[in-house]
Amino acid sequence: MTALIAAQLRERRRSLLSWGLPLGLWSAFIVAIFPSIEAALAKAVRNYPAALKEAFGVGELSTVEQYLHAEMLSLIVPLAVGYLAVRSVASGLSGAAESGRLDVLLSAPVSRRRLVTAGFCATAIELAAVLAIALALTSIGSLLSGAGLSFSSALAGFANVWPLALLFGSLGIVVTGFSLRTSIVTGSVAGALVGMYVVDLAGRLDPSLDAIRYVSVFRYYGKAIEDGIDPLSFLGVTVAAVALAALGATLFERRDLFT
Amino acid sequence: MRPTPGPQAAATACENRLVPAIETERLTKFYGSHRGVEEITIAVERGEVFGFLGPNGAGKTTTIRTLLDLLHPTRGSARVFGLDSRRDSVAIRARLGNLPGDFGYGKLATGREAISLLARLRGVAGLGGAAALAERFRADLERPMGQLSRGNRQKIGLILALFHRPDLLVLDEPTSGLDPLMQEEFLALVREERERGCAVFLSSHELDEVERVCDRVGIIREGRVVAVERVSDLLDKTPRRVSVEFAEPVDLAGLRELPGVSDLEAGDGRVSFKVAGNIDPVLKAIARHTVLDLEFARPTLEEVFLTYYEGETG
Repeated sequence: MTALIAAQLRERRRSLLSWGLPLGLWSAFIVAIFPSIEAALAKAVRNYPAALKEAFGVGELSTVEQYLHAEMLSLIVPLAVGYLAVRSVASGLSGAAESGRLDVLLSAPVSRRRLVTAGFCATAIELAAVLAIALALTSIGSLLSGAGLSFSSALAGFANVWPLALLFGSLGIVVTGFSLRTSIVTGSVAGALVGMYVVDLAGRLDPSLDAIRYVSVFRYYGKAIEDGIDPLSFLGVTVAAVALAALGATLFERRDLFT
Repeated sequence: MRPTPGPQAAATACENRLVPAIETERLTKFYGSHRGVEEITIAVERGEVFGFLGPNGAGKTTTIRTLLDLLHPTRGSARVFGLDSRRDSVAIRARLGNLPGDFGYGKLATGREAISLLARLRGVAGLGGAAALAERFRADLERPMGQLSRGNRQKIGLILALFHRPDLLVLDEPTSGLDPLMQEEFLALVREERERGCAVFLSSHELDEVERVCDRVGIIREGRVVAVERVSDLLDKTPRRVSVEFAEPVDLAGLRELPGVSDLEAGDGRVSFKVAGNIDPVLKAIARHTVLDLEFARPTLEEVFLTYYEGETG
């Protein structure tokens, strides 16, 4: 198992930088400019329409944590890292099937379930690493600019993205139980990712639609950078991700492997 | 002192020596309503090189993928070393080496990385026999596979199939992309593997190499096995082409009436025809005349193979 995980991580080492660096540098930039725009921003936000503030998770923007959440952690980071998760899972299963690597790996005494589990674990580690790089760069940006970002709050904010993104990786595993075409796996789960965000948004904007938010994992995402991690939501989404991955592994085990 | 095996272990070992390397029983695979293979019943013995022949789409790869549990049979069963291809697939794969058709492994990994991973998954120390095989095939293990030509990638695939000295080799179009020198090296290697006791299941379009290396062949047509024979028997059964140049005109009707003679043609003093079965009456009939030249062509496996597909390509 460790050999499979290590091999997958080695193949994905470039994505750590290609995803972690841009997200981290962008977040660092957001944090770094905050001190210079703080006053003007607070004034502008007061004039924003309530619906707009709700849509983009913009509350009061009087602290750097609130600003980082509004600019990065409410939308961009979860969508980007969620997409990375499904892309990673797809490259390890459907991508491997398309390239022929899956046939080679399954010539060895490795069960399909073990292969899927290794892919899931590698994705979980990769997501954590990308988020850690983004967190580190953001913290460095704060230190250099004197923005005063609380490390523990930022840690909570970035860490809270992990189970959410992992869940979309698991959805990707479920889809590979039906299709081994990478375009179908990434396309359908990316659609679900955006769809769930929109459903949650609609529920937040219109209280009469609040009930539909329960079908979206964003309902359980919250604002960890401001409020801290909700352990129940964090654990619940993580358990759901593991359960979906297990379901996906079973479907993958039962299917014929051809592209 | 080595522990004495118990009666059950001894019985299992005895049974294991007797069971074929591969045994399929009415193996059938449908993709929805589309036929993959139907009622495939074959057995491949240990130490045997078995050629599996058929054109594209006949069902060769479907059969192999079902043996490897990549596809699940619709009906029937497949056993490898007596183990069920579905239930015991992990144990089976511990004992076999597989070269998939159209071998690929992604673009970034090098041959060494791929072999290293497979060695760890197989519990093989180091790279097993990979270094010696790489030297023999002149394979480059250090370049990413995306930068290798098809033939050089195929060499990596062969090394991945062979480096752990498996008991069974399953090779799907193994010489695809290899240059003639490497094809010869590959055939020599297959013979060595047979000497070692390894069974080889070889699917190929290259009938010349099949004829040179296989003990028996199975011919598959439209998903069904239409013949399983020793290569020599298959060739013996097939009409041989005879061409004779006589010094004087001969009675063609007499030749045409001989048992087994067909497709008789005459022109420019030369008579050519096919003869199946016993050649003796033909030789005696020819010997009654003055013969200037005699050619006796044994059919190639390709000609034999084509007789099973006559009428299909038109």
